[in-house]
Amino acid sequence: MKRKSERAITLVVIATGISSVVTQLLIIREFLAQFQGNEFVIALVLFNWLIIGGIGTLLAHLAIKGFWQATANRLGWLSFCLACLPALQIMAIRVLRDYFFIHGSSVGFYPTLAYTFITIAPYGLLLGFVLPYSLFVLRLEKPDYPGALIYMTDNIGDVAGGALFSFILVYLVTPLQAVFLANLPLLAATCFLFTSIRRHHPAAFIGTGLALTLLLTGIFMEPASLATFKGEPVYYRESRYGRITVYKDKEQFTLFMDGTPVFSNQNLTMAEETIHYPLSQSTNPQKILIISAQGGMLEELQKYRPARIDYVELDPEVSSALFRFGLIKDIPGLHVIHQDARAYLMKTDEIYDAIIVNLPEPETFQINRFFTDRFFALAKQHLTASGILSFSVQGFDSYLAETQRRKISSLYNTVSEHFDHVLLLPGQRIFFLCGNRPIRTDIPACLLEKGIQTSYISGFYYGNMTNGRIAGLNNLLDPAAPKNIDESPQLMRLVFSQWFSKFSTSPNRFIVGLAILLLVYMFRIRAEEFVLFSTGCMTMGSEILVIFAFQIFFGYIYFQIGLIITVFLAGLLPGAWFGEKLRGRGKQMLIITDSLLISLLGLFILAMKYGGDRLPVASFLVFGFVISLICGFQFPVALRLRGGDNSVVTRAFSADLIGAAFGTLFTSVALIPYLGIVWATAGLIGLKLTSLTIMATGHEKNKQTSISIL
Amino acid sequence: MKKISRRQFLYCSAAVLSTTMPFRPFWPLTGTDSEASRFFDIRGKIFKGDAPAKLWKWSHEGLFYTKLKENRVACGICPNRCVLAPGDLSVCRSKVNIDGTLYSLAYGNPCSVHVDPIEKKPLFHFKPKSRAFSLAATGCNFRCLNCQNWEISQVKPWQVRHVELFPPEVVIEAKRAGAKSIAYTYSEPTTFFEYMIDIARMVRENGLYNLWISNGYINRKPLLELCKVLDAANVNLKAYSDVVYRKLNGGRLEPVLNTFKTLHEQGVHFEVTNLVVPGYVDDTDMAKRMCGWILKNLGPDYPLHFLRFFPRYKLDRLSPTPISTLTRFRELAMHEGIRYVYVGNVPGHEGNNTYCHNCRKLLVERKGYLIPIYNLAGNKCKFCNTVIPGVWV
Repeated sequence: MKRKSERAITLVVIATGISSVVTQLLIIREFLAQFQGNEFVIALVLFNWLIIGGIGTLLAHLAIKGFWQATANRLGWLSFCLACLPALQIMAIRVLRDYFFIHGSSVGFYPTLAYTFITIAPYGLLLGFVLPYSLFVLRLEKPDYPGALIYMTDNIGDVAGGALFSFILVYLVTPLQAVFLANLPLLAATCFLFTSIRRHHPAAFIGTGLALTLLLTGIFMEPASLATFKGEPVYYRESRYGRITVYKDKEQFTLFMDGTPVFSNQNLTMAEETIHYPLSQSTNPQKILIISAQGGMLEELQKYRPARIDYVELDPEVSSALFRFGLIKDIPGLHVIHQDARAYLMKTDEIYDAIIVNLPEPETFQINRFFTDRFFALAKQHLTASGILSFSVQGFDSYLAETQRRKISSLYNTVSEHFDHVLLLPGQRIFFLCGNRPIRTDIPACLLEKGIQTSYISGFYYGNMTNGRIAGLNNLLDPAAPKNIDESPQLMRLVFSQWFSKFSTSPNRFIVGLAILLLVYMFRIRAEEFVLFSTGCMTMGSEILVIFAFQIFFGYIYFQIGLIITVFLAGLLPGAWFGEKLRGRGKQMLIITDSLLISLLGLFILAMKYGGDRLPVASFLVFGFVISLICGFQFPVALRLRGGDNSVVTRAFSADLIGAAFGTLFTSVALIPYLGIVWATAGLIGLKLTSLTIMATGHEKNKQTSISIL
Repeated sequence: MKKISRRQFLYCSAAVLSTTMPFRPFWPLTGTDSEASRFFDIRGKIFKGDAPAKLWKWSHEGLFYTKLKENRVACGICPNRCVLAPGDLSVCRSKVNIDGTLYSLAYGNPCSVHVDPIEKKPLFHFKPKSRAFSLAATGCNFRCLNCQNWEISQVKPWQVRHVELFPPEVVIEAKRAGAKSIAYTYSEPTTFFEYMIDIARMVRENGLYNLWISNGYINRKPLLELCKVLDAANVNLKAYSDVVYRKLNGGRLEPVLNTFKTLHEQGVHFEVTNLVVPGYVDDTDMAKRMCGWILKNLGPDYPLHFLRFFPRYKLDRLSPTPISTLTRFRELAMHEGIRYVYVGNVPGHEGNNTYCHNCRKLLVERKGYLIPIYNLAGNKCKFCNTVIPGVWV
């Protein structure tokens, strides 16, 4: 093969890496906007993505063995398709949702699984296919072209794509504009590939023209694809944290975050409950902290004439939209702080008369941090002796379901460790009022004493909030329910369980199916592939653990979390380079690196147990980098041990991807919520120990020997 | 092959791009109401072989059922008309076929028991300011996506905590709570028909009232039986569209309309509620047609409540109903000729109050469940002596 073609293919691989990572991040955001924004859905999307990629990789091997010989020409056409598909995929996710599901309704686990799988499949399969296929094309002329080199080249693209999206595109452009920009390098590289085959190759012009047309059409169509059949979209932003849209229906403005209506300018009931339930208990509330706001809240707050209100909102785009559309009012004494509220509380010296938390259900690791032991302790430190903390979770109309009972019991047991008096008020949301003085239940009487007028509370409270209902709810609490702590988020587990019961379903069938598939896969892979599988699993698992731990200690800081994700990709490249340079002693090196990974995870447990909050931010970055460095190192070593032919390369790529898929799913939805952060890490250590044992006890007869690991 | 110049390439691309523009109006999500009418049917299915092996203490032989061949039974309570083989559980999850006999598993085991203001049901024209002893067992014959009581309506009887209250005890408890009436509410009382009717008969004997808060999805025969002991009802007319019924509620419109006719014919006081779901039920023409049907078949006197929708349960990705839509619907219904039209779930709205249909003066001012102004003398307007429909004293 000509040098020019080789260079062109290398560029195609790098550009594919850029395009694929940007697409992956966009697709996750898209699914979060179209479906439930919980950790389960995030994990499902990533899982599907990686699994489909793994299947695509295996298909590449089958294809070249059979009917589809590798050629540069075909690679070029595949790359054009790859550049076009992200736009189509995003459009398909948006448009098809309302064809398969009822507009305005949320979707349960299995339909989400099926929908994500089907919509990701075309792109995911092609992406998984292209990477090994590029290698096969390169090997047409250079049969000894190292598989690890393609892995490294792809990593360059991945790192570049991750950084491009996280630090540039997310601030500047919409999803389809991002798709357009992220695929320009791929189009250019593909054009270059065709011209390297033949000067003025017609495909270069036709393919580029068609792809550009399609990508540009996506940009033109984007506003229409976001429209809904009810209400006029008046505001649309893609912030770092998600999609914000405001729809106007008659005189009502509703702000949607990731497709869910969260604030409306006509929700008086919520505004009154959120403000007056806690503030009615306070003698003269002068300094108030509100963590996120509801429509109409600040008007209600103004009735107390406080001297200072600190309003903390993580996303500046949200508060900007809330003010712009009059969902909240700029009142005297209001200070808007754009920061993670927990990070703010850790740094500030301010003491408040009331802290009002107004956040959605703890469905994600990020939100769960505001319902934990450590947060409640932090909140108490910032309250006056007579201060009050209030927060709410999803309530009920007439019956408290069992999961909900366990959820509020866990919360009650957690918060009551820090406050002498905790009262739960039932309703469509259950309000927790926490203080060190007795809490009065006759809220209308308290408000009357203060001369504060309300519409909802004065008229409806006595009918809805009978002493019987309040006592009934408080009597149902289970004192044995485990507390919700940062390191072991019980609440998330219960929220998942609630999500399943809402759709009258259970993940059991999925778990059984997956276990069977995993078992079959385990029977078919070789020892070295198992090392890669376990390393892929461990790398993704540790990435999730590190992000989770980082948020606990430092708050949700977009830029630094973006950096963590980037270093988890960045270490792969130098790692693979070192691994490629290493000659001989492959098995020993795998054993040593596996031991190193185990030690690193052990260190992580120690850090969690003994003062992770005292560690500098850089230590998290170094940890991530070293993990990915080792992971990158193991890939070429394992590949060489297995011989490195086409079949081996595809199997190695697949093992890595499938391992990563399982690591993502199990760590975020099973290990952390069910076992807590320490035991989740121990689980990953267990997996790596298995890999270590297999490597240490296996006999290295020759590189072609296959050792089924089970 | 002839070379393509850069300029030609740009022209070609622009030409291809421009061809996509005319398709924009046909884009599937450009915002039309057609979405609401796209076909979906979420009606429930029988739970095959899901009945418990043995009956429990809170079982009672079903009413209005037919025995069929091969030990199968056909439940005749609601229009679902479940045909159950031995071991099957009905659509409403309350009825089972055990060895060829239909049993209700919701008898004497309410899972929700509260004392509510009667205005909460909502019943505005029946014994205002009184309290209703409200109870529910599990089950529902619908599958409403926006159900606010799904924790009890969409579960099986053995999946919830419950108290034990057989009919005589219900009457005792209601009296002890100072309630004037018993409301069968929260879930769908039609699904615990046997329990409800036994309580209702005793309630009548004890001088209390029976209130049926329902989706109206019931067959005529059981309804006629219920009407003998029923004092008031609030029936939810989910939408005046069979398509929406099937799509959002998992039911059909016609049987509900028949229920209204039967209640009217039997002289039971009832009020109609209509939850205005944006994009589905907020169509002005639909509201007009609904009012037309009410006027033609039931007359102008039955109160109609337009309720504000809030995102709930599975229908949680829609905005709440704009208040002006409810105001407009109220005006429209009154303009069409319905005399008492209310707006619900909007505190402080003028549509919470009752105005005399004759002199237009304020009769009942409602601030939530409180009634600061009450201008009725018996069942008549204090100002013009017009009889106000309902049961006031």
